[in-house]
Amino acid sequence: MNPISSKVLLCAAMLSCTMWLGVSSVSARASTPDFIVTAAPVYKPLAELRGGERFPEGAQLLLVHEGKATLLVPDFVASADADLSYDGKSLLFAGKRTSGDRWQIWELNLANHSVRRVVSTATDAERPLHLPGGRLVWAERTGQMFELDSTDNGPSRKPAPRNPTADPGPLLFTHLQGSAFPVAVLRDGRILFEAGYPLGSGSIPELYLVYADGSGVESVRCDHGRARWGGTQLESGDTVFTHGNSLARFTSAQANEVPVAAPRGEYAGSMAEIAPDLWLMSARTGAEKHYTIRAWKPGDRAMQTVLAEHGRDLVEPVLFAPHARPNRHPSGLHPWDYANLLAFDSRLSRAGDLKAAPASVRLEMQDQSGKTVAMGTAPVEKDGSFFVKVPGDRPLRFVLLDKNGAVLRRERGWFWARGGEQRICVGCHTGPERSTENRVPEVLLRSTTPVDLTVPMKSAAQHRAGKEGN
Amino acid sequence: MNQRVVNRGWRWAGSIAVGVTVMMLVALLPKTTMAAYNAGELLNYASPVEMLYSPDGARLYVLASQSNEVRILNATNFTPIGTVVVGHVPRGFALSADGSRLYVANSWDDTVSVINTRSLSVVATWHAGMEPQSVLADPAGKYVFVANRISSDVAVLDARTGMELKRLVAGRGASYMAMSPDGKRIYVTHVYPNPGPERTPPESEITVIDVARVQVVDRIPLPSVAGVFHVTVSSDGRLMVAAELHPKNLVPLAHLEHGGAFVDTLTLFGSDVGAKPVEIPLDEIEHYAARPFGVAITSDKSRMFVSCGGSEEVLVIDLPRLLHFIHTHRGPFAENLGASANYVIAHIPVGHDPRGVAITPDARRLLVANRLDDRISVIDTHSSRVLTTIPLSGSEQLWSLQFSDRIFSAVNDQPNGKRQCSQCHIDEQHRNAFTMDFSTRKRIQALRRGEQIFYTSRYSFQGQLACANCHFDSTFDGLEWDLEPDGFGRNIVDNRLLEDLRDTAPYKWNGGNPDIPTECGPRTEKYFWRSEIYDDTKLADLVGYILSLPARPNRWRLASGALTPAQERGKAIFTRTRDSFGYPIPQANRCNYCHSGPMGTDQKSFDVGTRRATDDTGRFDTPQLTNIALTAPYLHDGSARSLEEIWTLYNPQDKHGRTNDLTKDQLNDLVEYLRTR
Repeated sequence: MNPISSKVLLCAAMLSCTMWLGVSSVSARASTPDFIVTAAPVYKPLAELRGGERFPEGAQLLLVHEGKATLLVPDFVASADADLSYDGKSLLFAGKRTSGDRWQIWELNLANHSVRRVVSTATDAERPLHLPGGRLVWAERTGQMFELDSTDNGPSRKPAPRNPTADPGPLLFTHLQGSAFPVAVLRDGRILFEAGYPLGSGSIPELYLVYADGSGVESVRCDHGRARWGGTQLESGDTVFTHGNSLARFTSAQANEVPVAAPRGEYAGSMAEIAPDLWLMSARTGAEKHYTIRAWKPGDRAMQTVLAEHGRDLVEPVLFAPHARPNRHPSGLHPWDYANLLAFDSRLSRAGDLKAAPASVRLEMQDQSGKTVAMGTAPVEKDGSFFVKVPGDRPLRFVLLDKNGAVLRRERGWFWARGGEQRICVGCHTGPERSTENRVPEVLLRSTTPVDLTVPMKSAAQHRAGKEGN
Repeated sequence: MNQRVVNRGWRWAGSIAVGVTVMMLVALLPKTTMAAYNAGELLNYASPVEMLYSPDGARLYVLASQSNEVRILNATNFTPIGTVVVGHVPRGFALSADGSRLYVANSWDDTVSVINTRSLSVVATWHAGMEPQSVLADPAGKYVFVANRISSDVAVLDARTGMELKRLVAGRGASYMAMSPDGKRIYVTHVYPNPGPERTPPESEITVIDVARVQVVDRIPLPSVAGVFHVTVSSDGRLMVAAELHPKNLVPLAHLEHGGAFVDTLTLFGSDVGAKPVEIPLDEIEHYAARPFGVAITSDKSRMFVSCGGSEEVLVIDLPRLLHFIHTHRGPFAENLGASANYVIAHIPVGHDPRGVAITPDARRLLVANRLDDRISVIDTHSSRVLTTIPLSGSEQLWSLQFSDRIFSAVNDQPNGKRQCSQCHIDEQHRNAFTMDFSTRKRIQALRRGEQIFYTSRYSFQGQLACANCHFDSTFDGLEWDLEPDGFGRNIVDNRLLEDLRDTAPYKWNGGNPDIPTECGPRTEKYFWRSEIYDDTKLADLVGYILSLPARPNRWRLASGALTPAQERGKAIFTRTRDSFGYPIPQANRCNYCHSGPMGTDQKSFDVGTRRATDDTGRFDTPQLTNIALTAPYLHDGSARSLEEIWTLYNPQDKHGRTNDLTKDQLNDLVEYLRTR
């Protein structure tokens, strides 16, 4: 059955056998293409970054067809976070069968309406997103926060081509003492996610990127300081996101976010692009109001309400149509439990280049309890370069020191390197717009062996003492 | 011109030429096609690379590099006016000041075809240097300048007789030229970096020629640049712009984001810019203007257009904004991927491997030659939109003509994979002549698809690079690279030539890849493109294309096939069994032991004493010797800047063959012989 036929059948089934939403409370523009939306009595934006519940009173996925909204998965007491497969034949969502359940990841087959559990966890699992190659990423609650996990999308899928160095099967992406929540998969295959800024320690909502093997974590842009969350990649390649009471976008040419002259309001997370000049989004005019789904032509002064429901927030519109598959990331991770990091010129920074020359760099790591552990120091060459071997899959940060050991600059947040990752930093927070010079960093002329900082200083000292027989 | 090599180069084309078939089709073919057949060749793809307007603006000349032609079109409606067959692989052309002559640089023939633009016929063929790439005529009508890629110079020819008057040394791989509006200066680019110290940034130059004095008067340095393509001059002569690559070959290739492998730049110089040239990036943070090639500036200097072969687009640059930017910001700019937002105002998608660009005389249109589509994009310079694309007839049109209903009312599949006309109203003898080899046709199409894959950057992460980034025009780049999988700063490798790769497996300097599909498939996806690449079908096309690349004509071999006395002496050294003192040379220490067979490789690895501290092994794959004269630097890590340095600097213990007994003259002879390989 082709996706269109299945959509029509599904819509007919919904119309005939599912509970109608109160017609008096629902209005929708029939001219809008079919879309899915999450309806919830209460929607708490950004609760996910505090490890909280976005839908404390439950939520339901609605399919909006020709202006009429119907329940998409009526057998579930709660459902949210719809992510349609690229071919439009199935749908991933977070759902609860019974009120006592945790949020789990499910897949709805749109041809026969069957549902299967994709991920089974002891805690909440939310916001599933398809990844190319038959995998998915989702957010899993761990204590008071969420982390990003990934796995194959079940046995019913055609086996994905396995990369022996990519650690197939379940994979933990984020290694932080803080929440991370997936937002979207960009066309280049990277995962856009929300977390606090500074990463791993701060609380300002910020958007980050990571490859689909958990490597290469970085900020999308480094003009930090303003809360930004949600995010949808447009056909043009730009990413539009929520920015306080307005919208903004990342565009490839610009190192800083670009304001979107949207009507003033409170926007909720992601939006959907109906056409290059027509967006579908969730917004409300004040905290006392509910979020409604609105259509907006960029440049227009006002939005048009597409769908509103009395007493419920309508958020996260998703177009009900096949869409382009992002690129699969071919993981090049090595089979190591450590990573090698080369800083090209640690003196460079968006915050201002260092005037004093750093003499060494200290690596700090957060242990399981969140305590900072010094992992040792490595020399910094005159050109600002250093090359170190660091523990994989742990929260890390660098501290630049002068010749007396005084701190010249300390990273504000934490990052991680995947085991087997080899990575180059252009500078010390230089921003994605900064490329390296073409030269051999002095540290590689001195030695191509990285300074080993994988053992905590105290342990290393004990280790050395033991070897020396003291 | 070495005919044997040319024939090898065209061997696949030759295999298509089902000779007798053609006879039956002659009546249906245009004159140009007939000319090609009369020359014993079957028409190929056109592959347009450059365009020129006649001085009166009535004609558009299109240089078709694969069908070896100049196509003449009506400049208004693009209908064909005529075709002139020129030499092999023409790469550049220019008109005389009065438009009466069109000079064409035939890169594989080492000649310049002189076309009478009134009669549309070749009236003379002049010798130039090695692999001429472009040509310019001075306004006074005295000289014709020819930039030669292999001999890295500019030949100055007498414009009346074609006699060579002088050679001017240019940058390595001299390729493209532009003349100032007053005709006093010529600016010359080159595609391979000039020789420099090992593991230092590449250096290139703009060679400036004084036309009246016929002298090089300046060499404008282009630091950190390797691969400079077209250069253009504004109509007032105050601004010159060159399109180029800024590689990151010295930085470990760990990932592509942040311009990890290349940034694509322009260098601006001239009085509009100031005393020093300024290099500006074209890339964005998540999108790369891969392989800028052609540049054109509108006469009012409001816009500049840059064709990008890899990203298959044309960039529109607001020139006043660009000049304002460079005068109000402190450089350097090349490493700032956020800079282009200040001056690039549009990206216009065009076809595969866009090359030359031309602005119409009324400045309302920009034409772009899409080499691998056989099409010309016509762009509205005001709206920055493609208005139309003009197809150039090539082999596809020819084939469809051959298989048109007019000839074949029906075809039957034949067991041998061929199809045969069964209902043509012709006698049996001629019916056989209509037998067509469909598999050959498919192969031609597959080769073109493979070539498109080779040149597009769409498969790499954020579209940063293509095979052609490091293999210019399917050759090499003269650089050494630090690839990530072996560790940072380790196993530095010299880039190798892609010519005539038959019987040269394995690949990589450590011999780690047993075949081309391995080299170009998973390894490329994971460690170069860092992004999902082509499927197996496309990989097969790409591999087919790479394996189809012939060796360029060898310029050091005599046409007769004989060797010069020096080459003979060098060959004797290459094959000798005793050294200069009469002692026997162990078999494994003779040149021709490892460098054996027709390709000059026994396809095995040996330790020739060139291991560095940063190398994991001292055993390296024996490189083939195909056109070895062109591919400096040498050795696995490019440490030898010349063939001679292999023996004088890097063979102290005679592990790389017995050579320390050789005199300087003998080494020269050995070099002379190797150049013939």
